[in-house]
Amino acid sequence: MSMPKGYQSENGYATVSSEEGCMGYREIAEKMTEEGDKMNHSTARNVFLRAMEKLAGPLCKVYGSQNSSTMARDPRFQSCMQEIIEDFGVDI
Amino acid sequence: MADLASYFEQVGKTALLTKEQEVLLSQRIEKGDRQARDHMIQANLRLAISIAKKYQHSGCSLEDLIQESSMGLIKAVDRFDWRKGFKFSTYACWWIKQAVRKHVASHSGSIKLPTHAKNLLWKIQTTSKEYEEEFGVSPTMEELSDLLGVKKATLESIIMSSRWTMSLDKEIGNKNEGGSRTLKEVIPDNKESFELSLDKAKVSQIIREAFAHLSPREEKVLRLRFGIDELADPQSDFYLTQEEISSINKRSK
Repeated sequence: MSMPKGYQSENGYATVSSEEGCMGYREIAEKMTEEGDKMNHSTARNVFLRAMEKLAGPLCKVYGSQNSSTMARDPRFQSCMQEIIEDFGVDI
Repeated sequence: MADLASYFEQVGKTALLTKEQEVLLSQRIEKGDRQARDHMIQANLRLAISIAKKYQHSGCSLEDLIQESSMGLIKAVDRFDWRKGFKFSTYACWWIKQAVRKHVASHSGSIKLPTHAKNLLWKIQTTSKEYEEEFGVSPTMEELSDLLGVKKATLESIIMSSRWTMSLDKEIGNKNEGGSRTLKEVIPDNKESFELSLDKAKVSQIIREAFAHLSPREEKVLRLRFGIDELADPQSDFYLTQEEISSINKRSK
């Protein structure tokens, strides 16, 4: 059965969770719940996307590009953020 | 070169000495016989030349090397003690080698290395060659360090200093085929451009500032998603002593 039209993201899916040390939304939800902050995978995704939007906002303002919500969902932006944040190390 | 060839021919005319002849000549030298001394030197010039030839690819001219090795030979003739029972060549080759190496150390390469460093470099090369012949692979720096009894850092420093130097203005390529370029023109600059570094710095700054606006929950999820470790010691963020922290912990229990 072919994929329904319009469902696949224009730029593919973010695959950061396949890298070493990265987690999928379900794993994040489990970990957060274990640590006392009860959440399911959808909440984990929403929290993550909200954080990405907060990072994308100032960049969109400076570069005058697309709105921050679209940018935050772009897997290329997410991968790029991952690289940049990794470069900062733990001391963000 | 013709002069050198005739010199070799002349040297070759003097017959080599037997051990007995060497002893007799040495005894005469001790009594101050100049002729005996000259004969001893003449008869061993071939040894001096053969040692000098081994160093001819060290950046010095062969004529100079032969001159230096001959000086070493003269020193050996003056100091040879026939009573010890060794053949003269056994004793002389050390003096000749020392004279040649000293000359090579001070006259080759644009970086002047002290004589002891040159001697160590020579030992490194010889030891590496022997090691390769025996085991079929080059020795590592640690192995060389063990074999020579010298610190690894010293070895690395000497090897680094002995590298050949090349002028950046050296012309490369064929002049006849549309002119030549200098070496500095073809060395790529691997540094990122100034504009790109500025851009990166700006983006980093924006992201750092934006990160400060994340709630602890968002930050935690982001870190988990991207696999970034949290600060190892969360207490370091607070200006509390260990005693104060343990007191707070007790009270919370």
